[in-house]
Amino acid sequence: MLSALIWIPLLGAALIGFWPRPLSPHRTRLVTLAVLGGALLWTGVVGSQFDPTNPGLQLTEYLPWIDSLGLSYQLGVDGLALPLLVLNSLLTWVAAYSSDKSLNRPRLYYPLLLLINAGVAGAFLAQNLLLFFLFYELELIPLYLLIAIWGGSRRGYAATKFLIYTALSGILILSAFLGLTWLGGSNSFDYQPLLSQALPLGQQFLLLGAILVGFGIKIPLVPFHTWLPDAHVEASTPISVLLAGVLLKLGTYGLLRFGLGLFPQAWAVLAPWLATWAAISVLYGALMAIAQTDMKKMVAYSSVGHMGYVLLAAAASTPLSLLAAVFQMISHGLISALLFLLVGVVYKKTGSRNITVLRGLLNPERGLPLIGSLMVLAVMASAGIPGMVGFISEFLVFRGSFPAFPVQTLLCMVGTGLTAVYFLLLVNRVFFGRLSDSETDLPSVDWFDRTPAVILAVLIVLLGLQPSWVVHWSEAATAALIPPSASIASHSASVISQEFPQ
Amino acid sequence: MIKTSAPASTHPLAPYIEGLKAGKTLLPDTPENLIEVVGILKSYGVVLDAYSQNLCYIADQQFLVLFPFFKYFNGQVSPQKLLRHWWHDRINFEYAEYVMRSMLWHGGGGLETYLDSAEFQQRSQAAIAVKLKGNWLMQGLHRLFPEFLPEQVRQQAYYSALGQFWRVMSDIFLTLSDRYDRQEVHSIPQVVDYIGAGLVAAASQPITFGVTLESQRYEIIPESAGLTFLSDTAVPYVEAIFFRGTPFLGTVSYNAQAHQISPDQSRFDYGALYADPLPIGGSGIPPTLLMQDMRHFLPDYLHNFYRQSRRGEDDLRVKVCQSFQKSMFCVTTAAIVGLAPHPLDTEDLQQQQANQSYLETWMDRLQSSRLQEVQV
Repeated sequence: MLSALIWIPLLGAALIGFWPRPLSPHRTRLVTLAVLGGALLWTGVVGSQFDPTNPGLQLTEYLPWIDSLGLSYQLGVDGLALPLLVLNSLLTWVAAYSSDKSLNRPRLYYPLLLLINAGVAGAFLAQNLLLFFLFYELELIPLYLLIAIWGGSRRGYAATKFLIYTALSGILILSAFLGLTWLGGSNSFDYQPLLSQALPLGQQFLLLGAILVGFGIKIPLVPFHTWLPDAHVEASTPISVLLAGVLLKLGTYGLLRFGLGLFPQAWAVLAPWLATWAAISVLYGALMAIAQTDMKKMVAYSSVGHMGYVLLAAAASTPLSLLAAVFQMISHGLISALLFLLVGVVYKKTGSRNITVLRGLLNPERGLPLIGSLMVLAVMASAGIPGMVGFISEFLVFRGSFPAFPVQTLLCMVGTGLTAVYFLLLVNRVFFGRLSDSETDLPSVDWFDRTPAVILAVLIVLLGLQPSWVVHWSEAATAALIPPSASIASHSASVISQEFPQ
Repeated sequence: MIKTSAPASTHPLAPYIEGLKAGKTLLPDTPENLIEVVGILKSYGVVLDAYSQNLCYIADQQFLVLFPFFKYFNGQVSPQKLLRHWWHDRINFEYAEYVMRSMLWHGGGGLETYLDSAEFQQRSQAAIAVKLKGNWLMQGLHRLFPEFLPEQVRQQAYYSALGQFWRVMSDIFLTLSDRYDRQEVHSIPQVVDYIGAGLVAAASQPITFGVTLESQRYEIIPESAGLTFLSDTAVPYVEAIFFRGTPFLGTVSYNAQAHQISPDQSRFDYGALYADPLPIGGSGIPPTLLMQDMRHFLPDYLHNFYRQSRRGEDDLRVKVCQSFQKSMFCVTTAAIVGLAPHPLDTEDLQQQQANQSYLETWMDRLQSSRLQEVQV
């Protein structure tokens, strides 16, 4: 059942890529949307078979592969992975839908999108460390090509920088995985047996350090973040949606699954430092976002800041904060995808993303009123205004993390205030005021451009009003992520065993 | 050697001065401008007809009705009309009242002088006395606040005067459109000439106002007051609505407390010739109401012309406003030419100098208008 989530897009990619006669661009797009729609539906089927009260792995699949390497084809889904699988299926469909209908080389572009979808799904499902690594690496090359071929004027530089950073991330993660099995004397990379393996604290620090830096590059956390703004600025809109909405989540997922999961003692000792790192990342991202004049770069730095909340929640490791980490991943995925979509529409219609040039786009007659309204909604969600998904996720993060790390949490709350600052600057400059004379003849936005943004906006509001539709899938699994032996240094047992609010 | 022509103007808008002297118009003569101007004046004529009827109805039938709930219904109240009114799919008579109040506020012409005269005071008091007969409460209030009801009557007089002015203008614009439909109008100068001729023809038409109370006629502005169409309504209208106007939130960004608005009304430049069409379309501001009204009556050729543009019907009100502004520059041209002290093509040097001085005065006021913008 789970394999279908990987093989549907893979077969779709093969079908488009190797079909004897070249399909028309329109038909290629339709086939891709159909395949991704099928994958999204199948994710729904998986969700319907999933038991949210069971904290363990479900719907597992196992096939021996290369025993001598300890590599097996072992898949499983739990409450941590399921929401991310849904996010992956949804946002890849949105990315394919919002791709330029007349782009060059569609026969290469759409299969690459499908490969990314398959790779990310595989990474979320893999229950073997080597298999995870293979899927983790699988999405690098398609993404590199998508930036390098369909990107902006400095696409070569941005794609290469992305590849170097994320390849280094892969090397560090692989080193940690190899070290884990080598130091523990295990022959297998299967995840579940490794959970019960107890390494000395010193070795755990070493391996966790590699994991932290490896996934820290992917998230990205300061100071390993510099590839992200460049990649976002040069990538086309759908690729930015995928990058911010899904691919960054591989990093936070990896931290939770492999950092906290495999090295709980070392994690507990390092937790205060991780929380401090999170606060620095949040504040740095926010302050850098304030300084930007390119809307896309601003949203990219906003991503750096908001992914810091996930690290804060993961560091606190309370049941509530871990649930918050998962919810923040979903929340950020939806909000950042919407923000990038909207910035993309603005760029497509005005030819600029410069907030010192654009003005008055909310003009009801000559501007982009619906896009402007959705942008206001998106920035409100990102700034944590109640009634939207961002408020729930940030409130959960702060509520769950404050008892463990009050200072760091307060600093992160300042970051939320700064989010309002830079996004209000953006909205005020770009959307309010009188439309610039150079922009008084903008083309109108058709429903093709509006639809994906409207879908995401509806989800942002719906999940803001009814967050239990997401959190009930993850409550049991995130509670089970905390090993009984783990204890965050300097914090009381009551904090660690803090229950969910009733 | 004797000079036979005045020296060329050094005014910043000298090209327009020379153009007017050469028989050109402020608005360039292009086929597109002709379609826009005639088409928009057609729809404006239809709307003005409705405004005019309602203004005259309010002046005549709602005289000193202090709570005129149904004043926009022209005496024909029905549940269907009430629902339509609330649904706002209707003529926005509020705009006509707004223009009336602007004229009342800015004043000017013989109308303002007459409404401050002893004759008006005496005539209005007679009508007020009849209206308040048997109403002890209102009589008491009238004694306490003796200026209130005469001011209401002044306002009624402006309702009537504007209604009569727009009656004439509506007919001019609709007959212009008919002539265009018969292919008798081919250029912007012809449009200006036609409007100018219409204004001149109606120039001496008397402006009067009277009400019938208890079967007796009370002349508030009798014909003997000598008020006429051109000098007592048209000229104050152009001054108040084309030039001065009032600053609306949403059309002009201002901070009144920081004295960004001149305390001198005569230096106001918020009129139709200065309005920025872009913010038009914000909710509720009066010019938007006019654009909403006009878009219902656009002739097909103008509607098609608008549809061919990039935004199609998305920015219809902005386009209507732009066309309306162009048409108002045509009316302004007609007014400038019509009010000139001497024929603009005169060969008399003194007359030329007088004309030049006259035109420079107009151009001073048009410097910050949208004159340059409508050239493209």
